[in-house]
Amino acid sequence: MIGAYPSVVVRVTAAIVAPFIFLFGMYIIIHGHYGPGGGFAGGVFAAVGVVLPRLTLDDTVSYKIFPAAVGPIAGACGLIIFLATGIAPMFFGGSFLDYGALENAFMDAARARYLGILVVEIGVGVTVFGAMVMIFDMLAGKEPA
Amino acid sequence: MIIAIDLLFLVLLIATALLALHAKDLITAVALLTVYSLITSLLFAGLLAVDVALVEAALGAGLTGLLFILAILATTRHSSERAPRRTRISVIAIVGSFLGVMLFASIDLPDRGATDSPARRGIATYFLANSLDDTNTPNVVTSLLADYRSADTLGETFVILTAALSATVVLARRLGDDHPTGTIAPITPAKEGDA
Repeated sequence: MIGAYPSVVVRVTAAIVAPFIFLFGMYIIIHGHYGPGGGFAGGVFAAVGVVLPRLTLDDTVSYKIFPAAVGPIAGACGLIIFLATGIAPMFFGGSFLDYGALENAFMDAARARYLGILVVEIGVGVTVFGAMVMIFDMLAGKEPA
Repeated sequence: MIIAIDLLFLVLLIATALLALHAKDLITAVALLTVYSLITSLLFAGLLAVDVALVEAALGAGLTGLLFILAILATTRHSSERAPRRTRISVIAIVGSFLGVMLFASIDLPDRGATDSPARRGIATYFLANSLDDTNTPNVVTSLLADYRSADTLGETFVILTAALSATVVLARRLGDDHPTGTIAPITPAKEGDA
């Protein structure tokens, strides 16, 4: 099951569909302000887009774009994005995670909170993506080299 | 939502759960659990909880089943012998009485959408009324999770990453012991009478 799947139909379908699942995940993350979803669901969808080739295609292909190291790195980077967004308002007189304090001449408080939500959702999405890929890689026996 | 479809979903939900319990082949059980999650997600969508429905569809019906199948491939495919009859009867009695207590407690729950329910009093009404003005965000769930209650979300994100790292540590040790090459051993096909 891990490695190239015997059927050509399955391999080609997975290879075609996977990038669109990944794109859909990013859409869910970015579009969380207006529709259902957000960082968590979007991160899971993006992880599925990465995991599907790993299940069906040959290892040399599926680990080329997203190597096994991408899981831990993405997980840590997402959390750093979230924490940095939380700490940034503290330099402008606000409290932790109070993005409204970032307002300036170019954006009012509501706009700052809008953008803060976006960055936080991206951070959550990247973390969830990394965590899911990490768990899959460990279960599949691929350690980050 | 329509009552008939609702009831159909609930019957299917219980049927898939029972079938998953009785499946001898664990991969069949995982497939049935995936169907279970999908029906749950449809029920959530029927209750207009679209965000929850999306997460349930992505995680429960998608990735969790996949991880279960990987774990089964790495271990064994068949469920062990069923418990002896006496144990089973006592378990059924315990679960049945717990179900009775839960149903009895549910009598006191407020009706769905009731205006005097605890969820409609207090600070929740503020979030619903001011989300658009405060944060420019029409989806209140997103503004709640990422702005008003962002410290909660930060904690959840920490939990997710910690869980993944713990799983990595545990599984890395297991793989190092049993599989020197770091790959899963090929699965032998299921034999007749193996169950």
